[in-house]
Formats: sequence, C-alpha cells, structure tokens
Amino acid sequence: MNQSLSSLFDITIDFDQSHLFFPRIVIALLAVLFLWIVISNAGRIQAALTGKGNKFRFFEPNADQFRLLATLILIPLYFVAMDQIGQLIPNMGMGFLLSSIPFMFLLSLAYLHQRTSRLIMLIAANAIVAPLFVWFLLGQIFNISLP
Amino acid sequence: MEFFDLLSPVFFLLAAAGAIVGIIFGAIPGMTATMAVAVCLPLTYSLGLQEGLALLLGLYVGGISGGLVPAILLYIPGTPSSITTTFDGYPMAQKGEAERALKICIVASLFGGLFSAVVLFFFAPILADFAIKFSYVEKFLMILFALTVIASLSKNMLVGIFSGLIGVFLSLIGTYDVSNGGNGEYRLMFEFMEPYLESGFSLLPVLIGLFGVATIIEQAEKGVKEESAERKVQLSNGAPFQFAVFRSQFVNLIRSSTIGTFIGMLPGIGGSAASVLAYTQQKNLSKHPEEMGKGAPEGLVASESANNALTGGALIPLLSLGIPGDSTTAVLIGAFTLQGLQVGPLFIGENIDTWYAMITALLFANLVMFAVMFYAIRYIAKVVLVPKFILYPIIIMMCVVGAYAINYGIMFDVWTLLLFGIFGWIASKIGLEIAPLVIGFILGGSAEVYFVKSLESYGTFTIFFTKSPIAAVLWLLILASVVFSILIHRKSKAAKTSATV
Repeated sequence: MNQSLSSLFDITIDFDQSHLFFPRIVIALLAVLFLWIVISNAGRIQAALTGKGNKFRFFEPNADQFRLLATLILIPLYFVAMDQIGQLIPNMGMGFLLSSIPFMFLLSLAYLHQRTSRLIMLIAANAIVAPLFVWFLLGQIFNISLP
Repeated sequence: MEFFDLLSPVFFLLAAAGAIVGIIFGAIPGMTATMAVAVCLPLTYSLGLQEGLALLLGLYVGGISGGLVPAILLYIPGTPSSITTTFDGYPMAQKGEAERALKICIVASLFGGLFSAVVLFFFAPILADFAIKFSYVEKFLMILFALTVIASLSKNMLVGIFSGLIGVFLSLIGTYDVSNGGNGEYRLMFEFMEPYLESGFSLLPVLIGLFGVATIIEQAEKGVKEESAERKVQLSNGAPFQFAVFRSQFVNLIRSSTIGTFIGMLPGIGGSAASVLAYTQQKNLSKHPEEMGKGAPEGLVASESANNALTGGALIPLLSLGIPGDSTTAVLIGAFTLQGLQVGPLFIGENIDTWYAMITALLFANLVMFAVMFYAIRYIAKVVLVPKFILYPIIIMMCVVGAYAINYGIMFDVWTLLLFGIFGWIASKIGLEIAPLVIGFILGGSAEVYFVKSLESYGTFTIFFTKSPIAAVLWLLILASVVFSILIHRKSKAAKTSATV
C-alpha cells in the first residue's frame, strides 16, 4: 500500500489500494482483541481444553443427534431440490412448491416424538396445505418471486 | 393535508393485521418479533411504502406484546423481552389469577407503547435536525459510539467488541462500491466466489439466518421437545382483574416506560435489557420488594410497559440518525431499502408524510393490540398449543421465501440463510455475542465509508479529535460508555464473588 506519512498522523490513501485500507485496520484490531481475550482468559481456556473442571463441550449434554443431523441434512437437500426443479420448470414457483411438500413432511416426521397414525396424517395434511397456501398467496396473489 | 390521503382503509387494515399476526408470532416461544418482521418484509414490496410500514410496525408492536402470553401461562417467555414477565406472571397464574395477570400486562403494554410513540413524535425530528449538521467525522464517531454501547452492555465487553468487529468484517466482504467513492475492487474472498458476492452478503438472509435458522438448529439439537401445555390454559379462578390496581402504579408506569424508551434509543440494545432494568429498578424502589417474584402486579407493570416502550424508542435513532435501535428496527431498514429510500437525518424532513403515517400506524397498532388481546385473550392463549414439529418446518419455509424474494430471486441468498444459520449456532456455542455482531454487520459498510472519506477529505488522523465540539462530545460519550461498562462488570463480579462466599 502506498501511504506517504509526511508527518506522523498525516495519511494519504492510494486509490488503487483503497479497498484494502479499512479491512486491514479491522483485521489488525481483530487480531489484537483475539490475543487480548485469549491471554486474559488463558486459565479458563486451558482448563476447558484439557478437561479439568468444566470441559468444553461443543454439543449440549444429551444432544439429540438424530434431529440435529436430520435438520442439517434435510435443509441443504431442500435447497438443492428447489433450485434444480426450479430450473426444470422455471418461473412458476414450482421448484418451491414441489420441494417444500416432501421437506415439510420429512422434517416434521423427524421432529415427532410419538409416531401415531393420527399425527402422521396431521403432518401430511400440513405438508400439503401450508406450501400450497404460501405458494398461492405469496406467489400468485402478491407476485413474489419464488424459486 | 396530503398526509390524510395516504391513510386508506387498507393502511389501517394492514396495521391491524400486522398487530394480530405479530401477537401470534410473539406468543409462540421461539419465534420473535424480529423474525415476524423479517419474514414478512418481502411482502411489503408489492404493498407500497406506507402500507408496508403499517404492516411491519403492527408486527413489531404485536410481536413484543405477544410474548407475555406464554410467559404467564407457561413460564416460558414468548420473546426475550418477556423474561421478567415470567417472574410474577407465572406465580399469579398458578394462583388461578392468570386472566388478571394477562390483563394487567396488556394495559401496561399499551401505556408503554403509546408513551414511547409520543416521545418518538416529538424527539426524533429534533435529533434529526441536529444530526444533519454532522460531517463524515461526526458520523463515524456516532457509529463508533453505537458499537461501544452495544459492546459495553454485553456480558463480556471484550467479547462484545470482538463480535461487533467480526460483524463489521463480514460486511466488508464484497466489492468496495464505486457509488461510495470506492474503486470497485473485490476483496476478502477467493476468486471463485466473485460472481456471488459482488455486493456482499445481503442483510436480510443474514438476519433471518442468524435469528431464525440458528434458533431452529439449536432447538433441533435440544430435541424439539414440546412443553406440556395442556394443563396450563385455564384462565381464571382467583381474583378478577380490576383497573383499580393501576392507581398505585402510576409512578411505576412512567418510570418503566421512560427506561424502556431510553434503552430503545441506545443503538442495538433490545427488549430484554429494557424489561430487566425496569424490573430491577422497581424492585429497588418498591415498598414491598419481597412480594416481587411471587406474583406482584408491580413486577408485571414494570416489565411489560418497559418492553413495549422500547418500540417507539428504537425508532428514534433509526429515523433520525439511520442507526437501528434494536435488531427489529435493523430489519426495518430493509423495508426502506426495498422502496429505494435511505434512512438518515434527512429522512424525516424529506418524507414528512411517511413520518406522520408511521406515527399513526404505531399508535393504531398499539390500540389494536390492546383491543385484540384484552377481549380475545382466551383465543390467543390457545396459540401457545401449536406443536413445534409443525411449526418449525413452516418457519424454515417462510425464511426461504423471505430470503429468496428479497433480491427478486437469487438462490445464493437462500444458501446464505443456511450459512449464517450454522454460523449463528456455532457462534453462540463458542461465546460470540449475536447482537453486537448484527449491529456491526449493519453499520460496517457505513463505518468504512465515513472513516475513509474523513481521511481523504482532511488527510490526517488527528481530524477525528479536532474537527468540532460535536466530535469532542461524542468522544466523551464513547469514553463514558466504556468507563460505565467497566464499572458495571466490576460490580457484577463483586456481587458474584460475595454471593458464592
């Protein structure tokens, strides 16, 4: 970066490099703060990592791995499906509609704690009605772009 | 007056609808007013500015108010601003006085909301007139002040500043915009990302991801357990509601509403801080402090009037300085952007009719909120029963609609949702604070522009200190907030160590 410092505080910013000026300041501040935080909490960080006292746990105790994974897998699949279907049938919001129905059904199923046939029918009904409602109201009447 | 032409029946209908939907969103634990506004934001594009604002302001007022319902009935706050309502509301419900508690809260909420709307009406234009005189230097210092305030009120000040800076950093990703005097270069990213991140991350998907999707991921990790709600929705066996209870609460109402409005004015601080501060103040000044926490109406009054007073207060810095007062008003910026307007000191002067329309919408929404909640409370209480396994997928679907539509159909924004949802989930695990991060993200771009332009115009760093008396005052404020926060942290550390002794 060409910065001419004629006196200690004077500064001119070279236009070609000006897009890096502020980011560099921010990065410098982040580095300083990070060191400061690490040093002032060194004791606790060491204890957390080595396991004396409160070991650092990334996941909650008794984390529900199944539901967590279900969420983290179904959502990207949903997005990809939306995009792909939307490219096959463009401009009708079909990508949204056709991928929302199975997504809602599967995710609700995953979140369910008691699998009774009554609840499953409820989920199925919701999985069909809710996306249809949104697609119709927002996509057709309000004319909002849907994938 | 032209202004009355803007007030069509649709305007009032939308404000009312917004209030009702907002109450429902607020009443469901896990869904917040911010989420309601964020998800409905894209709808406002086709509605036009005044109507869109009517809807969003209705959602805001309704959302903050709705949180009191599960707070009282289930001991679960519907929104973070209702945490202190649980302290006295739930014990009252257990004594069978649920309806009384609910109605006390509703009246207190109405008072707080109207109080702050009046303050907003008179104070914001004054502040705006003042802020017009700000040059780039003062504007930058204003943002710096906002960031220090938020950091100082977070649990750990260093981490708060760090989170805010991370937000700023994230906002800088993209091109250095030519329209802001930049050179149009890409920065802070790898080459393959260039086509997607030309204008950086869009605000709305980031917000919805951090507040909406992250919450759902957390809930999934916890197992999406349903609260056992069936037993809780019977409403009144004990003492009935009487307006007379407010005779002794007048000072409480005024003080708590003032606290709420003031906290709302501070950039970035939200409802939970307002209600906690008002509640603790009431406890300090109460004649019967031991009653609070066991079902004292004064606790409810303090909590609910403060959190509704926040609504008007948070709009003050937004409409006079362009700096959002809390995360919901931050999302409101999106509504103005959708319509091509910029909020800042010139906003009120140039858009005086919209300004009057907004005040009207705010007042009307408060009245609708009151009417709906006061008379239909039995039905509202049932909302608490919607099962999460139905609700959460619907929320994700609505988030997707919101994110996609905001830039008229960019799939990358939908992926941004997921990215920031996961980021938000991880961030709260490692201790980063989301509120400063969001404000940093929103203000980061402006901070850069003002900072660089100040230097380009004056050529020296010392200008930040010597520009004008206003700059000096701002530095004093920054210093004051830093000192204040250090004092608060020392005090709470001392309290903790003496409590464990």
